[in-house]
Amino acid sequence: MEVVDIRPLLAPAISFACSGLVFVYGKNRLWRNFWSLSAAVIKLGVVMSMLPGALRGDVYVYKLVDFTPGIGLGFRADALGMLFALVSSTLWVLTIIYAIGYMEPEHEKSRFFGFFALSLSCTVGIAFAENLLTMFLFYEALTIATYPLVIHEETPEAFRAGRKYLIHTLTGGAFVLIATIVTFQIAGTLTLSKPGILDASMGTQTLTWLFVALIAGFGVKSAIMPLHGWLPEAMVAPTPVSALLHAVAVVKAGSFGILRTIYNVFGIALLKELGLTNWLAWIAAFTIIAASFIALFQDHLKRRLAYSTISQLSYIVLGASMLNPAAATAAIAHIANQAFAKITMFFVAGAIQRTTGKTHIHEFQGIGYRMPWTMGAFTVAALSFIGVPLFAGFVTKWYLALGTLEAGAWPFLIVLIASSLLNAGYWLPIVYMAYFKVPPGTKMHVEEARPTLLIPTLICAAYVILLGTTAQVPLMPFSVARAAVRFVFGM
Amino acid sequence: MVSWPQWLSLVALVPLVGAVTTPAVSRGRSRVAALWALGVMTVTSFAALMLILRVAREGPFSYPFGGWKSPIGIEFRFDEFSASIGIVCLVGWLAVLYSQRYVEHALEEPRIPYYYTLLLLNFTGMIGFAVTGDLFNLFVFMEILSLSSYALVAISGERTAEMAGFKYLIMGAISSLMVLFSIGLLYASTGSLNMADISSRIGDGAVGPIPLAMALAGLTVGFMVKAALFPLHIWLPDAHAIAPSPVSAILSGLVVKTGLIGILRVYQIYYGAKVLDLSSLNTMLVWLGAISIVMGAFFAIFQEDIKMMLAYSTISNIGYIVMGFGLASPYSVIGGSVHIFNHALIKATLFLAAGCLIHKTGYRTLYDLRGVGKAMPLTTAALSVGAISIVGIPPTAGFLCKWYIALGAFEAGQPFFGVALIFGALFIFVYYIRMVNSFYFRQPVHPEFLEVGEAPASMLAPVLILASLCLVMGILGRIPLSFIEPAAHRLLAPLGG
Amino acid sequence: MESQLTTSLVTPAMFLLPILGAIAVVPLTRTSPKARALGLGLACAVTAALSMSFIPGVLAGKIYETHVLRLTPSIWMFMRVDAMGALFGTTISVLWFLALVYSAGYMADEHRRGRYYTFFMLALGWTLGVAYAGNLLTFLIFYELFSILTYPLVVHEETPEAMAAGAKYVIYILIGGSLVLLAVVSTFFLAGDQTLTATGLLSLEKGRTPLLAVFWCFIVGFGVKAALFPLHGWVPDAHPAAPAPFSAVLSGVMVAAGSFGIMRVVFNVFGVKLLRELGVMPYLAGIAAFTVVFAAILAVRQDNLKRRLAYSTISQMGYVTLGVALLGPLATTGALVHIANHAFMKGTLFLCAGLLIKRACVTNVSQMNGTARRMPWTMGAFAIAALGMIGTPPLSGFVSKWYLGLGMLEADQPLYLVILLGGALLAAVYLLPIVYVAYFKAPPATADVDERSEQREAPASMLVPTIVAASLTIVLGLAAAVPGLPVSLARLTATGFFR
Repeated sequence: MEVVDIRPLLAPAISFACSGLVFVYGKNRLWRNFWSLSAAVIKLGVVMSMLPGALRGDVYVYKLVDFTPGIGLGFRADALGMLFALVSSTLWVLTIIYAIGYMEPEHEKSRFFGFFALSLSCTVGIAFAENLLTMFLFYEALTIATYPLVIHEETPEAFRAGRKYLIHTLTGGAFVLIATIVTFQIAGTLTLSKPGILDASMGTQTLTWLFVALIAGFGVKSAIMPLHGWLPEAMVAPTPVSALLHAVAVVKAGSFGILRTIYNVFGIALLKELGLTNWLAWIAAFTIIAASFIALFQDHLKRRLAYSTISQLSYIVLGASMLNPAAATAAIAHIANQAFAKITMFFVAGAIQRTTGKTHIHEFQGIGYRMPWTMGAFTVAALSFIGVPLFAGFVTKWYLALGTLEAGAWPFLIVLIASSLLNAGYWLPIVYMAYFKVPPGTKMHVEEARPTLLIPTLICAAYVILLGTTAQVPLMPFSVARAAVRFVFGM
Repeated sequence: MVSWPQWLSLVALVPLVGAVTTPAVSRGRSRVAALWALGVMTVTSFAALMLILRVAREGPFSYPFGGWKSPIGIEFRFDEFSASIGIVCLVGWLAVLYSQRYVEHALEEPRIPYYYTLLLLNFTGMIGFAVTGDLFNLFVFMEILSLSSYALVAISGERTAEMAGFKYLIMGAISSLMVLFSIGLLYASTGSLNMADISSRIGDGAVGPIPLAMALAGLTVGFMVKAALFPLHIWLPDAHAIAPSPVSAILSGLVVKTGLIGILRVYQIYYGAKVLDLSSLNTMLVWLGAISIVMGAFFAIFQEDIKMMLAYSTISNIGYIVMGFGLASPYSVIGGSVHIFNHALIKATLFLAAGCLIHKTGYRTLYDLRGVGKAMPLTTAALSVGAISIVGIPPTAGFLCKWYIALGAFEAGQPFFGVALIFGALFIFVYYIRMVNSFYFRQPVHPEFLEVGEAPASMLAPVLILASLCLVMGILGRIPLSFIEPAAHRLLAPLGG
Repeated sequence: MESQLTTSLVTPAMFLLPILGAIAVVPLTRTSPKARALGLGLACAVTAALSMSFIPGVLAGKIYETHVLRLTPSIWMFMRVDAMGALFGTTISVLWFLALVYSAGYMADEHRRGRYYTFFMLALGWTLGVAYAGNLLTFLIFYELFSILTYPLVVHEETPEAMAAGAKYVIYILIGGSLVLLAVVSTFFLAGDQTLTATGLLSLEKGRTPLLAVFWCFIVGFGVKAALFPLHGWVPDAHPAAPAPFSAVLSGVMVAAGSFGIMRVVFNVFGVKLLRELGVMPYLAGIAAFTVVFAAILAVRQDNLKRRLAYSTISQMGYVTLGVALLGPLATTGALVHIANHAFMKGTLFLCAGLLIKRACVTNVSQMNGTARRMPWTMGAFAIAALGMIGTPPLSGFVSKWYLGLGMLEADQPLYLVILLGGALLAAVYLLPIVYVAYFKAPPATADVDERSEQREAPASMLVPTIVAASLTIVLGLAAAVPGLPVSLARLTATGFFR
């Protein structure tokens, strides 16, 4: 049931207002932190307040203005969007706390927090976009808003990374725009409120190109190989940025776009008829394996995280391209599962860097004794990625595996298994390094990260376990994911 | 009051009279000249507003001078395309306001009243060009416009400025000659100068195709020079970069558009007639537009001078608009026409803001201007807004054009150009990002200007107004779009579109 | 006998208790090691007592069930104690308790005891979870995690060898775990419900090919842990590297967890009837038989004591798989009983090996001359366990081999009887020389000429568990027929499967 309600607009608007306030009052530390934190909490509250309705099947819609004739700037909070918004706004709160601690010695803090809020505004805008054009609008804005964050350090590497980031993402944006235009041209509407707006009568060739353009466009942010080049480079950004934007907001915006493409633009029935998703699935499978292999050889922790992100994001794509409910559940739920686990790891990487100055894995010898809580959180996240039962990653793996079987695509099952082994291959050595490779003669003394860094890390790690053990509980992301799947598959 | 017929004559006469009287009124006092010009522009703007309201309500209307009906008499005709005078007045008014402080720094005192005269003449030319209904007046106003433009480019009296003005003059003179020749040809073959009348006479089939085709070629090439379409753009970068910033804003934002409106007028004449198949002309325009987009962007990448960069970006944007016209589908023509408005807003923002930077710091290359974002946050913010808008990031004004022209390309069955346009825009981003980087993220080379502070309010206000319009017109894009839509459909109706 | 379902809250407590115990004593690590040891011992003892408390009920035909947690609509944790689970669970908790007590002495001068004890207890909890898992997913959840939780125990010494062994262990176990996951998912896909009932979940409706694929995935996956040839590579490396008390449980119950998994697959997932139709079991039997002989031959050549024992474990676990693969009630009984019996025998042997390392600095067989003189109790326990291993009546090893032998005849496979006897013979070849040199060879002259041999015997905290384990070997052999001991539970299980 559709309910006209301003809250879907309010959620991005809060972050937007926050960014303005931070720019204006940013010089003062207290004000800056106050505005950031309170906006984050209020936004989370707004999103949460829509959750019971979303689970009931209500859809909140709000049309702001006719952007161009026929296409409105519209907002719509359906289950799929709710999940993405929920994850990103929950993590915003945690990341803000973390960033307040992390950014203490950095320069240009008001710029940082201002653009941070702006990026979050765009992310929730993407989540709640009612039509493709609104989505594209926020998608592009997200690119721009994150650029100052990527080059925050203002070093030559940062500029290089920033340039690469922009070239990749803007090219992707161009593809999305072309696809949006073509969709409007052939379908006459851009709405994302239906399970598919295209049909086979529009010509197989056109539809194929359209699909390719949309996937290529969203695939850049989603870092599907070979469009992933920007992601490892962009890790020069400060850790809170890498954490929230390059593990959650930006990259998930791409994955979310792919989900929207498959479920709301093309629709399951049409894609089954066209058979295009087979190719997508193979590309995703390739990405999963190849990125994991590359990750094995990275010594810089954040780069390893980046390649892991590339690999994990393709789980979402793979799940979506299986076109059945189980795999779709996996794909949608993985937005949350990956986000929490990955952000834990990023938080840990940042905490280690800030506390000990170490960034490379070979330097982590014995760090598990120096920072026991931090490395504990890391271990939880690592186990989740490996897909050990009772951790978030297992839920995804299980449903994805069921989905591949349901689709009769057993090669992907093997890919999945191989990937979890590779995950073990590149995460466990870090744990091992931290706990078992203590250089002789080191004194064991606990030197934990400061509380603003540690507490968000631990909360995220705890949430990874919650996602793996109590996914069934209403209001957890998994239930939202299931609600989305019910809609998409008309169940 | 809205339907008072005299507005149409006043809108061209007021700035003309104002221009002529400026030196006399001011008697060398620059301040008085500025105020006078501002007053003139205020009245003109009011008249323009009335006209636009009327055309929105009633559709196109005419004003025959002295009661002589067409086709014999001189006639002003106001249609939706003429509404571009609205933007002329808006940007003109802001440019005059901005000039007051800018020129006292940039020009010698005695030249200042003449500067305002030329400025007002320039507006007269543009307004007249847009509202006239007959070809001869079109030429006359075009010449007023061109001559005043040459002089404005060269007004500082410096050698480089004079050289740039001279280059502009040569190109402009050739183009004027071609336009004049073509008008003569049309008059000779149809016996009329009134555009609507010519169109209907051609349509009767009384005239052979050869002179018509020659006239078409002459008009098109002539206007292409004015519009600085590739490969006839060579005069533009120097002229726009060297002129005083408010003049650059006007030249880049408005004056080149008269060439485009000229091309639109040519279409109005020839489409209705249906004697010539214009599809090959269209194809040429589309290709030239596409090449302009790419070439403009390509050259801009290598510019260090901020105004030079903006000048090349104008060439790209003219490419957009011409491509939109050439695609000849409703969406693309709407997109092209609306971009005439939007690009004027955006480019004026950029040039005026760049002017503020040059005015306060004295530097004009990206290298020298590093770190200026801290010293002049509002100005650089306006520049950034302009940059984002011109690249076409939604929801800014620049996005609409990209959206509609690309949509038109697909509608016209030429998806390649839609794709080229969108990727061309990416190219443009590359050099704007250099600008943003150097303003905000690079360490200053000249730390001394960190203390200079913002430009004076009379300069800053126009910049900020324009920048906010860049944003607002994106979100409220449907207002100009729905306004221009009937005109575009009328234009293309003979094509059966 | 009709089984009755009873809901029991004890089941989840079983695996939570050690875990909570481990967490609860963490704060005591630095302040009071004694209090910590006491706390852990108490938790472990209660766990063992609880696991035994199921036995009367189970013998009476009860099945205890608990729904623990529904993670998602298709993933839920469900505990179920049937006779087979009760048998394995009791074995686990008793052996673990003995090893824990032993650790108090053994680990006294080791580094990082906090980590050791925590993971030791966590591993207990998770292994019990494997025993009491009521559906395949629960089984998988515990199975995967306990493999990872035991890693810190394997590499505890942090020597390069231990690290290398640990890496090998993790790689083997993770690959095995992945295959199990693959198989579990496929089973869920083919059958839906996964509750481990006595009749099997799968049927031939879906065609032979997927069933065969699932079967071999399971066998290879569990076979890694059960050290089935050629998947046994990690066993000989991991055992010598780990601390002795952990080697004891590693060999005694954790390798058996793999065999236990194979049993669950054979009897509860596929079911006897289906497997007979599929006709895959002869192959499995062949592999198992080969493992028995092959590992035993390799064991003979090992000089490192713990390595030799590790190969022995591989060989003995081959018996278990062989018993299962024969698909007969008696052979199954034998296999089940052998899991329990072998646990205590091998536990004893490893505990003795640990004592030898700690007290006599002996790691290799060639250094063992005359050790019995200095450590009579230790070597006494060793001799008993070694004889049990060979299958000498009336020790417990004989009982299980007796049933296995009967099962082979019942299955009309007298050839395997040769294997059984050959394996026993080889066990004699690789174990009896140790006993021989310990008792009858004179200690080398170069060894510490310290004649205070009485003082060389281990302290009670280590000796007592060893002796208890050794005496269990005797008790389980002598009193095999007493209800409540392994044989009764195994028979009950086998009748259920072959009804």
